[in-house]
Amino acid sequence: MDIETQRKWDAASRTLDIMSFAEDRRIGPHKRRLFSKTRGATLMVAAGTGNDFKFFPPNMNVVAVDISPKMLERAAKKAATYTGTIDLREMDVCNLEFPDASFDTVATAFTFCSVPKPVAGLSELRRVLKPDGQLLMIEHVRSAIGPIGIFMDLMTPLTSRLGPSLNRDTVGNVQKAGFRLQRVENVYLDVLKIIEAVPE
Amino acid sequence: MLFAIGDYLAGILIGLATTLAVRAIIWPGMDMVLAMLIGMALGTVVHLLVGLALAPLVGMFETMVPGSLIGMYGGMLLGMRDSMSAGSLTLASALIVGAIFGVIVVCGIKVYNRILQGAVFEASN
Repeated sequence: MDIETQRKWDAASRTLDIMSFAEDRRIGPHKRRLFSKTRGATLMVAAGTGNDFKFFPPNMNVVAVDISPKMLERAAKKAATYTGTIDLREMDVCNLEFPDASFDTVATAFTFCSVPKPVAGLSELRRVLKPDGQLLMIEHVRSAIGPIGIFMDLMTPLTSRLGPSLNRDTVGNVQKAGFRLQRVENVYLDVLKIIEAVPE
Repeated sequence: MLFAIGDYLAGILIGLATTLAVRAIIWPGMDMVLAMLIGMALGTVVHLLVGLALAPLVGMFETMVPGSLIGMYGGMLLGMRDSMSAGSLTLASALIVGAIFGVIVVCGIKVYNRILQGAVFEASN
């Protein structure tokens, strides 16, 4: 278990709901549209405080993992209100305690900006996905727009101490981890993206 | 609609705060390169503080992305402008320039967002 990352997100759990209040309302419809494609046994990575549970279709069986026990404490209340089952587990995405090919769908929301070794984490997702499974992601990535990208590079040393890295190439990392892209969509500029992929 | 108004208000607020911070530190006749660098640093700090305060109400991305351009690049421009005593002689006129800069950046980002939004890759089955 990555203790440093765990501590960082334990601390962030106190303010996550407040900070994401407006974002939930603005990005929520995109998350709902993406997660409506969820099928079969589903793994949600980095459940956080459970803000995204409401965007899943009703009556799903979801296993939701997070590295932070403090996040999971808060997520438990939201999991209880979901009209299906959500099984919460404390786990590091780089070391998932599931057998190979366990899930039909893996869903992430703003996760791989924060995983210290993103390709290792994504490779682990590929391992637990069934060969005909699907990866559904909504992530923020480094912008290719010059001035915004430069700013993200400059700010990342600061933001990564408190929370996410701003300059990740998550689309490239998905491919490096052995996935084949099915669809990439810009949600906000080229910073917020929906990424759909399947195992290669 | 409310969020769109909030985006513009956030841009105006970051523009105003950046202008105030630059006006407080940069004096006419200061070395222009130094003024640009100080303005950029001030604008960055200001946008982070104001942006973090507004993010829960407007949204983190929609505040921080335009805010970074207003703070960082606006701070540079305003710093250079103040060091040369170019344009705004009074604080009020400088604040108007800062607010207009904020609105222009937010508007530009919204237009660019409309252009970029949508699928950029779809695999053929």
